[in-house]
Amino acid sequence: MDKGVLVIGGGVAGIQAALDLAAARVKTYLVEKAPSLGGRMAQLDKTFPTMDCSI
Amino acid sequence: MMDAGRHPLIDVFTLSEVIGLEGRPGNYQATVRTAPRYVDLDLCTGCGQCSDACPIAVPNEFDIGLGTRKAIYSPFPQAVPNAYTLDFDNCLNDVILACERCRKACDINAIKYDDYPKEFTIPVGSVIVATGTGVYTPYQKGDYGYGIYPNVMTGLEYERMLNASGPTNGKIIRPSDGRTPKKVAFIQCIGARCALEGGEYCSRFCCLNSAKCALLTKDHEPDVDEVSIHYIDMRAFGKGYDEFYRRTQAEPWIKYVRGKPSKILEDPETRNLILYTEDQATGKPQKRDADLVILASAGMPNREVTTQLAKILGIETDEYGFFVSRQSSTQALEATRDGIYLCGCSRGPEDIPDSVAQASGAAALAAKHLADHRIERIKEDIPQVDTSGPPRIGVFVCNCGINIAGVLDVKKLAEQAAKLPNVVWVQSDLFTCSDQAQRVIQERIVEHKLNRIIAAACTPRTHEPIFRETIRLVGLNPYLFEMVNIRDQCSWVHAHEPEAAMERATDQIRMAVARSARLEPLEAKELKVNPSAVVIGGGLAGMRAATDLALQGFPVTLIEKTERLGGRSRELNVTFPEEYDAETLFNEAYERLKQSGARVLTGTEVIGVDGFVGGFTVKTDTNGDVKAGAIIMAIGSDIYNPVGEYGYGMTKGVITNMQLEAQLKQGEVELDGESVKTAAFVQCVGSRDPETNPGCSRYCCATTVKQALALRKRGINVIVFYRDMRTFSHHAEESYREARRAGVVFVRYNDDRKPEIIGENKVTGIRAYTEAIDDIVEADVDLVVLAVGLSPYKEAYAKLKEIMKVPTGPDGFFMERHPKLGPVETNTEGIFVCGCAQGPKDLTDSVAQASGAAGKAATLLANETVLLDPTTCAVSFDLCRDCGTCVAICDFHAPERVAIGGGLFAAKINEALCKGCGTCAAMCPTGAIKARHFTDNQISSMMRVFLLGSEA
Repeated sequence: MDKGVLVIGGGVAGIQAALDLAAARVKTYLVEKAPSLGGRMAQLDKTFPTMDCSI
Repeated sequence: MMDAGRHPLIDVFTLSEVIGLEGRPGNYQATVRTAPRYVDLDLCTGCGQCSDACPIAVPNEFDIGLGTRKAIYSPFPQAVPNAYTLDFDNCLNDVILACERCRKACDINAIKYDDYPKEFTIPVGSVIVATGTGVYTPYQKGDYGYGIYPNVMTGLEYERMLNASGPTNGKIIRPSDGRTPKKVAFIQCIGARCALEGGEYCSRFCCLNSAKCALLTKDHEPDVDEVSIHYIDMRAFGKGYDEFYRRTQAEPWIKYVRGKPSKILEDPETRNLILYTEDQATGKPQKRDADLVILASAGMPNREVTTQLAKILGIETDEYGFFVSRQSSTQALEATRDGIYLCGCSRGPEDIPDSVAQASGAAALAAKHLADHRIERIKEDIPQVDTSGPPRIGVFVCNCGINIAGVLDVKKLAEQAAKLPNVVWVQSDLFTCSDQAQRVIQERIVEHKLNRIIAAACTPRTHEPIFRETIRLVGLNPYLFEMVNIRDQCSWVHAHEPEAAMERATDQIRMAVARSARLEPLEAKELKVNPSAVVIGGGLAGMRAATDLALQGFPVTLIEKTERLGGRSRELNVTFPEEYDAETLFNEAYERLKQSGARVLTGTEVIGVDGFVGGFTVKTDTNGDVKAGAIIMAIGSDIYNPVGEYGYGMTKGVITNMQLEAQLKQGEVELDGESVKTAAFVQCVGSRDPETNPGCSRYCCATTVKQALALRKRGINVIVFYRDMRTFSHHAEESYREARRAGVVFVRYNDDRKPEIIGENKVTGIRAYTEAIDDIVEADVDLVVLAVGLSPYKEAYAKLKEIMKVPTGPDGFFMERHPKLGPVETNTEGIFVCGCAQGPKDLTDSVAQASGAAGKAATLLANETVLLDPTTCAVSFDLCRDCGTCVAICDFHAPERVAIGGGLFAAKINEALCKGCGTCAAMCPTGAIKARHFTDNQISSMMRVFLLGSEA
């Protein structure tokens, strides 16, 4: 396995960190306890103040 | 979410936990345990047949128990990965022999009852803790009847009810009888700002979240008569939040009621709720009734879980179970062990923009341990779909839960689309953006030889990149995708006129089909990237951004206009909340900057920028040109000048909080050599005022608390006149409480009745009307401190705006690309923004955001090349008459005159500078300029079908 960064938690913060690392060519291991990524934000309907869809 | 799921450099382990971490920074070994899913991730297509066959229904955790799920389930329609999960604890196979319905229902044998837990180790250089937060469950808050009265629910439960894919499909109902409520009441600060139960801290996101839910309530249920929000202080501190708050205040059916109810009782017959509150006008107790009460529960971690993880990682947690930062002003993202970083709600409640910026920041910090381990970009080998033949269009119409289908007849839209020319395949899905639906699109492209794809769904701003990537992965050029926004621009805005909306959506789809047939494949050009960066502004934010980039191995030049680094921090005495000596803080930051190897140019001003993403030339007045692939703007902000307000500049004894800070730095607080007896602070001077700065300046309430405590230590009496105490930052609420205990008097004034200063030449007193006693409060004071807001550097911003081509927002600060999707990026690719240049904020948030900008810049600098968006304009030399119109009108300086031989000149467009806005194409008198992806032919085909009803 390539040496990389371990990201614990697959909510909006964990996903963003993983995407930025991967875009900077750093191998990333994203570990999430639940069956799906998404975390708290995926439970929301829309987000303030721009009312974008949460997904 | 889906991007993370399919990125080749990200391995996602769901149902997994970290159970061990050995080694040292740069060389850790992490042990991960994956619980069995009992469904093969590689085989499962997410079709759902297993779930349909399952006889067991249990409460759904994702809906906080409001709805049900099967024992084999997918938590929500857009789940990533989209494979189902078998919850063995609730499975019949566990208790009764061989139910096996799901296994029999699965056509591809993806279900394996003999799955088992797996443990494995991963070599990691660093760790990011992004575990988020739990939510306070208000069972302890017995006064409000949660868990007893069915019509009292938490904010997150309400959120699930509002969600189109939630348990009620977006319908708002009373749990007791399923009826739509008429009166909904929100109660803020449940489990927050409370010493008795929950936490003493502020949970940051709840105020605006309730304001948002209030707006959505009427959207979902137009018959709701009233939504009331019961609050202590409205903490609308983020960028654009106060404006949003004012928008909700203007709605006649939204009532903001100050003060938390003392208790709630239920009428046992109607199940309606009675809130015991205070009448603000009379100060007398009053009762208000509501059909449904929402408790805005605070973010609060599951302490057992976080302390367990902290033990495994060797880091510390606080008394609530949040992870502790090494030092909160400038090292907030660093945990207490080297090589472990924090972001988002793991270190305390945060809103989404701050979480996202911190996540990029944690990425920058984590990446420095892996600077030598970057992975070579993998060459993809995807056979291209031949698109030379006649158009074969596939149309995918999205229900978006009820967001679209609640207004538009999606089935009918699909039937109509099927009859349009060149359309070969049409289908509708509950959520076209789900992993499952995206896979289906890929299958249909292959199966039906589709060469054009249309999604009639939501906004291209958030979702077009996902669809483009989906079709690219099966070899279809991404620019052969067309998105029709039948949600934001149709079903949402025309929700109350479904027939007209239907007509409009029909037109939108017809026009898209016409345009789609004329789309051409476009190839993105690759540009070389210079891996070095320039950071403009040498305050603590700029220093941090430069340090974080240099430590990742990128050459960095930090340019500071003045002769000294440190910016505003050099004027501070101590920081908040740790009372860390500001000079020591600066020295430590400077030491890190020096060791990082970043080049520092002080006394140097940026006078121009040439070039484009990956290849900028930054021109300076005293140090020549600096080449860079990326630029970070960290130029901070000015301080509001209150001259003429509250007697400032005329009346002796009226000073700003920065002037007080200077005195505190000297030691004694004096006025003309005489000691001060009583000081009054006035908050929101030059903040939350549409005339000056419409938004909150974020730093001032906590600073006032810090300074008030410092004055009390010197034996000075303190009164604070405020509108809302916005002590939301880390430990600020606790300090606010401490200040009240220390005898600081807090008096609230109304927005429209500002305090008045008494005294001609020298201040002798202050008076203000306060609603709390419905009377004027007057006090003798000898010092008035104005808590001044942050404002843009007018001249410097105007200059940089022109040089950088980065727009400023209505508040005068530089505009980020998107508050959540790109909080540190700008609309000019390769230029990033952080700290107060993007909007007022405190030291902690500025510095965290600076790390975020460094993280984002690294995503560009770590790659040898960058792909340019090919939707740019191009000039046909044959038609160009060298009139110069395009050169004159382009805001981005993309067109230039070039010699084309024979003594002739023509315009040529620099694709790296062109934004594809099409202004030049519209203005070109000879039609020599073509706007790719928006050609005359494509646009006029849309106009034709719209106006004539067909393409004839």
